Amino acid sequence: MAAKGMNLCNVCCLLLYATTAVLAGRDFYKILGVSKSASIRDIKKAYRKLALQLHPDRNQDDPQAQDKFADLGAAYEVLSDEEKRKQYDMYGEDGLKEGHHSSHTQLDFIPSSQQDRNIPRGNDIILDLEVTLEEVYSGNFVEVVRNKPVAKEAPGKRKCNCRQEMRTTQLGPGRFQMTQEMVCDECPNVKLVNEERTLEVEIEQGVRDEMEYPFIGEGEPHIDGEPGDLRFRIKVLKHPVFERRGDDLYTNVTISLVEALVGFEMDIVHLDGHKVHIVRDKITKPGARMWKKGEGLPNFDNVNIRGSLIITFDVDFPQTQLDDQQKEGIRNLLKQGSVQKVYNGLQGY
Amino acid sequence: MEVVGTIRGLIRSLLFLLLWSSCEGRDSELSYVTCGSLVKLFNTRHNVRLHSHDVKYGSGSGQQSVTGVENADDANSYWQIRGKPNNPCLRGAPIKCGQAIRITHMKTGRNLHTHHFSSPLSNNQEVSAFGENGEGDDLDVWTVQCEGIHWERDEAVRFKHVGTDVFLSVTGEQYGHPIRGQREVHGMSSPNQHNWWRTMEGVFIQPSQEPLRHDEL
Repeated sequence: MAAKGMNLCNVCCLLLYATTAVLAGRDFYKILGVSKSASIRDIKKAYRKLALQLHPDRNQDDPQAQDKFADLGAAYEVLSDEEKRKQYDMYGEDGLKEGHHSSHTQLDFIPSSQQDRNIPRGNDIILDLEVTLEEVYSGNFVEVVRNKPVAKEAPGKRKCNCRQEMRTTQLGPGRFQMTQEMVCDECPNVKLVNEERTLEVEIEQGVRDEMEYPFIGEGEPHIDGEPGDLRFRIKVLKHPVFERRGDDLYTNVTISLVEALVGFEMDIVHLDGHKVHIVRDKITKPGARMWKKGEGLPNFDNVNIRGSLIITFDVDFPQTQLDDQQKEGIRNLLKQGSVQKVYNGLQGY
Repeated sequence: MEVVGTIRGLIRSLLFLLLWSSCEGRDSELSYVTCGSLVKLFNTRHNVRLHSHDVKYGSGSGQQSVTGVENADDANSYWQIRGKPNNPCLRGAPIKCGQAIRITHMKTGRNLHTHHFSSPLSNNQEVSAFGENGEGDDLDVWTVQCEGIHWERDEAVRFKHVGTDVFLSVTGEQYGHPIRGQREVHGMSSPNQHNWWRTMEGVFIQPSQEPLRHDEL
């Protein structure tokens, strides 16, 4: 009895395994290298990183590069869409019945080999999106309302795919004439109707200048083909306090001569309002630099890594001239002998 | 009877409050033209969109030409609304009536511009696209003339040039080859029915909230 039960169990297991193996198709989570509970943001990050690595242009000597890249695109297309992801989680790849047209979400900041599709495409729209350094530090969301013309069916027919063709007409025995003629196909009529929808762009932490966020299909329509894309191109604005170099931030602080000699304590207010505390009890020379690790910008690929804040000090000398008594006082106080060294400072002597 | 009456009154006032608050919501920034938005400008008298392209005038200044086109699906009709030179406007902030702005052609990065040259077809003032990467000169600045406080998306407005005081206009003259059918866009000194424009297609940026404080994350 037990043996029979065992056999049945085995068969069931085998069947289950077989069906899952069949149903599974590709493991999109594995392809992207993320866990099943990864957030959309993690998925986007993973896709970006891998797309840069796996792009066929960068892997010319790998015969499977195209396939790997196609897998990556398919994985991203499914896992970045809530509905599709749900379906995929339940039924596997084959459970996604809709034949979504093979729109490889091409990244735009790779000099990509343009997919040679014969389908005509509408124009792309590139919007320069200005962001502040505060937004680069903490991230932010920008809502936009996209009003665009959409092709809708209309009664009747229209001419489409018009092209010039050479026609040969016979004028007589052995005499021919070649003429250029405009030839068009007949297509169902369309008209353009304006529609509106709200889109949301995320300004991710650590985003760099010129990075683009594409919205596939939100560009200009093409009557005979597909719409182009809408791309937001990040433009990071200058900041009055901080200067960005990669993930590091640079700033300058002016201190008084007294503070430079005797020391000081101060706070620098950072981009998100938190304070960076600075204490100095030694002499601070003009041009001296202080490195504060972890107080720079978050790294775009891993927000847990931060750059540093580099503070350069300059010294404000007293404005009023000193009288003789003060001068004497200072000579006695500092007890620094006369130096008066003459040298070529511009050539490193 | 009295009770019913008061209940009716209560419901009515509640509905009114609801409508009023949702109206307030509708009247929000969604209906304004904001700084940084990409828009197509439509001349209401001649039904053409403001347009530019990499084609220079054959006369006058020889700068990049600005025309009016009938197509609704050309990306070369997109213009970005930006602040004055050295005075950037806050992204997403609604543009006020009377505010000075620059209107930058998206594809070529040149600013809507006018100057004392004659337009080729009608002998009005030539309007061109000038500058590089959004930076030109002081003749790139226009003020939005409208009623009310802010420039509304579905409102017809006029654009008056700061510097020569002309209004952006179309009067219907058409070009021949190579831009057959496109209308001449020029500056006219008087406000009239030819210089009304409204926004059509575009990407309208909504104001953002202040970025989150890092400690809250």
